This record gives sequence, C-alpha cells and structure tokens, in this order.
Amino acid sequence: MFNKIREIHDAFDRKTLSSEELTHSYLSAIRSSQHNAYLTVCEEEALAQARAADLRIAKEGKVPRTTAPLLGIPLGIKDIFTIDGIRTTCASKMLDQYVPPYTATCVSRLESAGAVILGKTNMDEFAMGGSNENSAYGPVKHPTHSERVPGGSSGGSGTAVGAHLCVAALGTDTGGSIRLPASYCGIIGIKPTYGRVSRYGLVAFASSLDQAGPMTHSVEDAAILLDVMSGHDPLDSTSSFQPVTRCFEATQQQPNWSRLRIGVPKEYMIGGLAPDVESSIQASLKWFESQGAKLVPISLPHTQYSVAVYYIIAVSEASSNLARFDGVRFGTRPSHFQNDLLSFYKKVRSGFGPEVKRRIILGTFSLSAGYAEAYYQRACQVRRLIRQDFEQAFRDVDFIAGAVSPTTAFKLGEKSSDPLQMYLNDIFTIPANLAGLPAMSVPCGKDREGLPIGLHLIAPWFAEENLVGVASAFEKARG
Amino acid sequence: MSKEIHREIHVDEALTRKMADLARLELSDVEVVTFTSQLEHILGYFEKLQEVKVEGVDPLISPIELETPFREDRMIPSLVDSEGKPKVLQSAPDTLDNGYKVPPIL
Amino acid sequence: MHSEFEAVIGLEVHCQLSTQSKIFCGCSTRLYGLSAENEMMTDVSVNTNTCPVCAGHPGTLPVLNKKVVEYAIRAGLATHSTIQLKNVFARKNYFYPDLPKGYQISQYDQPICQNGWLIIDTQNGPKKIRIDRIHMEEDAGKNVHVSGFSLVNLNRAGVPLIEIVSAPDMRTPEEAGAYLRALYAIVTYLGICDGNLQEGNFRCDANVSVMPKGSTQLGTRAEIKNVNSFRFIEKAIEYEISRQIEVVKSGKKVVQETRMYDSSRNVTLSMRSKEEAHDYRYFPDPDLIPVKVDPAWIQEIQGTLPELPEQKKNRYMSELALSAEDAGVVTNSKRMATFFERTVAELVQAGADQRAVAKPAANWITGEVARLCNEENIDIDQVRISPKHIADIVLLTRNQVISSTGAKQAIAVAWKTGTPIEEIIEKEGLKQVSDLSALEPILQKVIADFPAQVAEFKAGKEKVLGFLVGQIMKQTGGKANPSLLQDLLKKKLI
Repeated sequence: MFNKIREIHDAFDRKTLSSEELTHSYLSAIRSSQHNAYLTVCEEEALAQARAADLRIAKEGKVPRTTAPLLGIPLGIKDIFTIDGIRTTCASKMLDQYVPPYTATCVSRLESAGAVILGKTNMDEFAMGGSNENSAYGPVKHPTHSERVPGGSSGGSGTAVGAHLCVAALGTDTGGSIRLPASYCGIIGIKPTYGRVSRYGLVAFASSLDQAGPMTHSVEDAAILLDVMSGHDPLDSTSSFQPVTRCFEATQQQPNWSRLRIGVPKEYMIGGLAPDVESSIQASLKWFESQGAKLVPISLPHTQYSVAVYYIIAVSEASSNLARFDGVRFGTRPSHFQNDLLSFYKKVRSGFGPEVKRRIILGTFSLSAGYAEAYYQRACQVRRLIRQDFEQAFRDVDFIAGAVSPTTAFKLGEKSSDPLQMYLNDIFTIPANLAGLPAMSVPCGKDREGLPIGLHLIAPWFAEENLVGVASAFEKARG
Repeated sequence: MSKEIHREIHVDEALTRKMADLARLELSDVEVVTFTSQLEHILGYFEKLQEVKVEGVDPLISPIELETPFREDRMIPSLVDSEGKPKVLQSAPDTLDNGYKVPPIL
Repeated sequence: MHSEFEAVIGLEVHCQLSTQSKIFCGCSTRLYGLSAENEMMTDVSVNTNTCPVCAGHPGTLPVLNKKVVEYAIRAGLATHSTIQLKNVFARKNYFYPDLPKGYQISQYDQPICQNGWLIIDTQNGPKKIRIDRIHMEEDAGKNVHVSGFSLVNLNRAGVPLIEIVSAPDMRTPEEAGAYLRALYAIVTYLGICDGNLQEGNFRCDANVSVMPKGSTQLGTRAEIKNVNSFRFIEKAIEYEISRQIEVVKSGKKVVQETRMYDSSRNVTLSMRSKEEAHDYRYFPDPDLIPVKVDPAWIQEIQGTLPELPEQKKNRYMSELALSAEDAGVVTNSKRMATFFERTVAELVQAGADQRAVAKPAANWITGEVARLCNEENIDIDQVRISPKHIADIVLLTRNQVISSTGAKQAIAVAWKTGTPIEEIIEKEGLKQVSDLSALEPILQKVIADFPAQVAEFKAGKEKVLGFLVGQIMKQTGGKANPSLLQDLLKKKLI
C-alpha cells in the first residue's frame, strides 16, 4: 500500500511496478470493496491512460516528475466534476445517465500531469450533506469501520483514499465537505483559498463557497495535486490571478517555529467536543508550542452566526444553481410525455432527493420578495463581519487551529433525523468557506474506538504554502 | 454557543406550497407537513441574525476581490461530432430536427 | 383625441448588440446567414451556435465579453447617461424552456447606465424624454410551436442585449414613435446594433396607462409586448389607449397584464388569463465579479463616438439647407444618411452646388428608394442601386432631361438590374421631349381639338390647363416635359 506519490514514482523508476499493474490492483480492490465508494468505474479508460503512462516512462527512462508530476498515478474524482464522455451523476437520479460534453478544468490539469482516472466517487447528492447518507445510490461506508459514515459530502473520495481504493482523490468543499470526511477517514484534505482552483466543470452547489481540493494520504501528495490544479482559468470569472502554488517545495522545508503564532479562538473552545477529540486537539496544540510556536488566544466574535449565514447563502445560491435541472437539455425525464409544462417540470424535478428539495425550498424562501432583505441580504452583511473577524485575527496570528468536528465518525443513521444537529456539525469548518480562506484537515490521533480525529488549520488568504509547510512538519512528527 | 434561543417564526403549509411552486417542485402532502415543521425550526435559528448590527455594512457576495475579468470578443466555433451534429446536443433527452422537444408552451 | 383623459406611455427597448460572440461565451451571435443552397437569407441551423455554457450545462460558468460593456457605454454616452463605474450582474430567476439556466443573467439595482435622455420632435416643438436606465443582459432562446409540443432553439440564448428603459414621459402614440425612431437612429449610428427589426435586433415593449386629465395619480398600466415595427407600435398604443379609456369609462378597472398586438385586426389582446405573480428573486450573480469601469476607458470611448443623429441633422440643416423635417427623416437611419451623403458627394463631384441638390437627393432617397426597400423588406445598404444612380436622377430631372415619371421608371429598372441611369434612359427612351419644334404642332392640334376647354382656361379656370397638358402628353406618349408644356400653353393662351 502506497502513501506517497513519490514512493510510487520511485517504484516506477526502479521498474518494480508499472502504472498498469497498479491500476489493475486498484480496479480489483474497487470491485471487491463493499464501501460503495465509486459510482462509475472507468476501467477501460484508466487502463489506457496507465499504459500510455508506462510507455512514456519507458521512453524517457524515468518518470519526468517536473513535467508530469502525476504520471501513472490512479486517482478517484468526486462525481461532481464533469469529464467529457464519462457519466457524471452528482449522486442524483436527475443525472442518472448524464454524460457531459466537456471536462472540468481541474480534472484536465490532472490528466495533463499524467494522472490515471479510476472513476467517479460517491457523494451526498449535489454536495448537500455531511455524511454521504444523502446519495441516491446508497450511502458510503467508512474505510475501516463499516457501520459508520465517512463524512460528507466528499464521502466517496474520503473512503476511496482511506480504504486504498485510489492513491488520491479530488473532492469539493462548500462548508467542510473535504475537511470533514478527511477528518473522519484519517486522511489529508485541503480546501484551497476561494479562487485558487478553477470551478469550471464543478457542478455548482453554492457558487461563492464551492472549492475543489485534494484528499490524500500525505501532505506532500496534497501539495503535488494542488500545484498541478491551481492557477488562473480564463473560463472561470472567479478564478484568482495568483501564481500557481509551490506547495510541494514548502513541504520539503521546516517551518520557522519560533516565529509562528497559532491562534486559538475562544469561540471554538466552548465545550461540546467529544473527550477524545478534545484531548487530541489539545495535545496537538501543545506539540506546536513545544516546537517553539506561540499559542495566542484570539476572538472571532461573529462565529456564532456562521451556520445561519452559511445556510442562508448556500441554499439561496443552490436554489438558483439547481434551476437548470429541468429535463429540457439533459437529465432524466419522466417516461410519459407530459402535456403541460408545469407538470413536466414538477415530474422532472421530483428526481431530487429530500435533502436537496428541502434546501431548494429554503433557498427559494430566503430570496423571495418580502423575505430577501431579512435573510439573504442580512446574511451577506454578517458574512462580511465574519470575514473582518479573520482579517483582524490574522494581524496577530499566522494560523488558526482547532478541531474539524466535535466528534469522530458517527454511525450510519445516527444523526440524519435531526437536520439541525447535522448543521451544527459544520460549525468549525464553515467560517473558512464564508471568508474564502484556505484550510485543511490533518490527522492528529484516534479515539478509543480507533476512529480518526482531524486537526483543523486555517491560514490567511493565498497562504497555502505556509499551511502545508506546517501541516507537513506536524505530520512527520505526529503521523 | 451553549444556549441557542430558537424563536419560532410562523411558517405555514400555504407558504411551503407556494415556495414549492416557485421552485417547480412537487411535494406530497406528507412532505408539505414535514418540510413546514422543519422550516419553522430552522428559520427560528436564522432569526438570530436579526440581533447583529449591520447598518452600513456592505454585503459580501463573493469572497474574492478581483479586477473584472473580461473576454475578448472572439468567436469560437461550436463543437460538432463526426456527423456534424452539435456536440452539446448529445445529452439531449428528446429532440426533433435538432430542437429540444418539450411540452407545448402556450 | 380623448379630451378628459391623458395617456402615459413608457417604453422598454431590448437592443441586440452586434458583437461577434455572445455575452458570456464564445459562440457566434449570428442568427441569420446566407443559405448554402440558394442565395436567400435564412435562419442558422437549429442549435448550431451553442456550447455547454450557453446551453446551461452543469458546471459551466459565464465570462463577460468586453465589447458588450463597451457598447453599453457607447449607448450611455450617446444618451447623456451617467455611467456607473461599478455595476453588478444579477440573476433573474424563473422557469421557461428557452431559459437554459433557469435564470437570466441581467442587471437589477446597479445597472451600467442611469439618468439619460434624448430629444424628440413633436408637434409642439422639441421634447425631452428621460431614459431611466440602460443595462446589459443575455437574450433567451427561441421556441417553435409544432402540433402537440414545442421545440427549443438556443442559438439566440446568450446573445448580448442592452435594455433601454424610458421614464413614462410620452403622452401620445406619435411621441412614442418619435422616441423609438430617435433611439433606433442612435444605436444604428453607434454601430452597436444591426437594426434589423424583422430579425428582432430592436424589440419594443410599451407600458400604457390612462388617467383623468390633470391628475397626478398614474393609472394601472398594461404592457404591450413584442411589436416589431414602429408603425405598428404607434397603432397598438393608440388602440390600447382607447381600450383603457373605455374600460375606465364603463366603471371597470384596467387589469395589469401583458398584451400582444394583432396587426391584422389592429387590436391588442390579453396574453395571460391570470396574471402570474412574478417573483424573480433577484440576487447578485456570484459567478461574476462586479464590473468596474475605468474612467479613462470611458474617455477613450467618448473619443471614438461617431457623429450622432442629432448632430448630423443639425449639420444637414446648416450646411445643406435641408428643412428640419427632411433632415430628420434622412437621418433616421444611419444607412440612409450614409447613402444620402454619398449621393451628395457624387453630385458635388459632378459640379453641383450641394445646397441646391441636397433637398431633391433627400426626397428621392426618403421617397422612392425607401418605398422600394419597404416593399421588398430589405435595407438600403442591400439595394442594387447606388448613390451614383440617384445622383444621376437628380441631375437629369433638374435639367429637365427626364420627367419625374420617367425618373421613377428609370429607378425601377435600375433597382432590378443596376444598369447606369444614362443607359436606361437611352434604352427605354425616357428622355423628355423638350424640343419646341417637335412640340409646336402637337400643341396647335390640341388647342384646335378642344376649344371648349381652351375657352374655359381663358375665362380663368386654371385647373383645365392640366387637362390640356394631359392631352398633349397622350399625343407624345408621355414624353413631353409637362412643366414646359404648361409654360408654352400659358404663353399661347393668355
């Protein structure tokens, strides 16, 4: 089992392993797995890509790591990204047989770097959920504890990585959907700064919150993927003009610990954390201190409003983004031709699952005449205040640290009856999406049942290099 | 965050149905009841936002500040398949003479 | 018209911008092209100018075409509007098969231009009509109705539009027509709109209400949509005003609704049986960054603005001695004005004084040429006759070589063939007979043949001269110069 792309490339160079062999073994593992992590497996395409990679390695003698940093590496792609010619469902019956006519920019960048695409991973329907129990194709199981959820909405990617059904995977994070499954599954998950990675080809849930990011076994691998995917995309108007990241370099260096100040928001340390999570996070913070970093108490006063702000904005944007699913140009249609337009639309859109419907209704309400000012506009104003909290905090600290989730992976069905509690599960991760900050989950321990715990690190805007530098050092010492 | 005060806002079934219509969603009677009570509960949570002072605060729509990205006015031919049919039509559920077929629009 | 009531009219114009590519993607904006089979203009094949972006596929994103912003600024500058240095795109959410994303990207409370105006000529003198706002948005696709279902064509989806919204400053159908013609002239002069009404480049919706004369309380308004000719808009508004007055007089209330105009019966008809409550749930589009316009760019654009209709009209009046009315008509369309200027240039080259020939040139262009264009539904830059043809007509008629009847005949032939006028006149034998020696015997004969009429004329009945001229014309096969005949007859008989 490989935990690093580097190790695989070493094996390719030594000719003790080929990409085709590796791809075969992952495809076989996927076939025999009970996790339900994949919705579509691209067996033929993957093997073709693997063979092409092997040919290139043979021709060049070694893996050209600078020009093709992912050559021959099998990846899982969350089924929310479009790939030309490959079925993309977003885990919804609405798109059961949808085959996109174009490929998402971040996926094509991975492919240009030589990656092998094993298949499309399961997720919460249209990225709406925190446990991957909202998929129209069945829930995903935790990589090691099959009665538990892997977290969501990138649960398929989380389990695929955690259960070694791919080397690394691509996920998306709107309110924690990369970091939460990373935390539950014991892997690395990074949500980059908003605008860092192109959203072109990422089926939109909440346009001002969605970001694509890597889910991997090691910080180094996440850094490699980020370096490949980042950079301006002219097809995405919200794509930043910041230069491509140099995160891999950063993981090879030691942070200057004595100059680091790590913020601990008092609003996050209010209790409610499971005891093992609490002690693991505390131990991690103490480790930073032992390296010479300073722990600085900070305040993010508008934290308590984040969930409300997030849900209003996310569902409002979602209700609009999902209006295109009307059965006219793509998607599932009812088998009988409807005679009137209204019932046609309603029949088509009955293909949405209950969580999606609920959010659409909430979003429609929040934008509706008469309510828009009280909810949507006000939420956007409070969002600015939340962002200003971070601007203020980052004058005094270089990172903000805490838990990703108050608990470890819960049991399937355990939380899904109470939507409010599910929402509270996002409280630590949401603010980074609202402010557009880069954040990641890095494993920091396990609880008494052996369930992984994730340490949450938030960095200032476009400071991914610093983020992975610190995380990498932490991982090496504590991992 | 130890105490959450959930003031219940009155959301009734008529409102839920109206929102469902606007969103072209079909809800069963059971769903209308369930959604209405869930909405009430969640909206009460949102009432919390009313206590924040927001006068003079500019709403934050996008978390990225950019100079307006523009595109040059250059025509890019549409992709077609090997038969000359527009590629984007491949995913169309039902067409006639390359037009998307839908119920009659009155 | 209706003395106790006053009409209040506001106009919304959707103007398609003549950019190469759509507003948010690179697809072609061409909706019509020359058919490969025949040489006729025909619709571009269904759905051939579409891509995942304008077809609203999941995961696609809009990127703004810079030319659209430039064109919107041009329109704003030409209408004295304030250009908003920061303006925002918003989503207008509703469901319709020709609206691929389930929302239209438009502008809501922060449009690119505000508070403009233009001047129209009315019977009571010039009147200022305010333009509340101009904003950018994308056009929707088109639906074709076949029995039992509809077909959606998205070629037009994503074509850039500017929506120009006037204040409700107009009071009569004529004022509305004048405003539209003035606005049409502006956008065609600026080169931002092709101005083909039949193709839907310039679409007008009229908001009409009535109120008791002198009242300050506006009545309920009805909207008349999608009338694609200026003449029809005036007639539709005229009918709607009468209709609303009848409604109010009979004690009922005017319903706020959308209506369409039926030109064959000259009536407006209600389009909705029940007015659907439109809750568009506008919010700023998070996929697009607010448009920030650099004042330096506005200056640059200002510098490239062409001579606008108003300026051109004034110049024609002062330099070419055209009347306000003639200058107004010929500057209504940039193409017509260009044709006119070229005609005058030809005449000047042939040695004529521009102030002397401008009016007849204008009259031939706005008269006969325009008539033929309308008949065939083509624009003046698509005709086979050229400014040289008209210049020749002007000279030949001025020099009495041909009569105006002969001129019209010549134009008709040139229209079909493009042959030079001189050649046509030779071939068709259109020269007027002005030769006195040829005419003299005919004159004598007619005078001899119609003694009664001659007597009447001598007795003071002027009108009978026409009859005598007519008889001479018959004898000459219509080729005699009628004004010359008049002079000759008068000389002989008085």
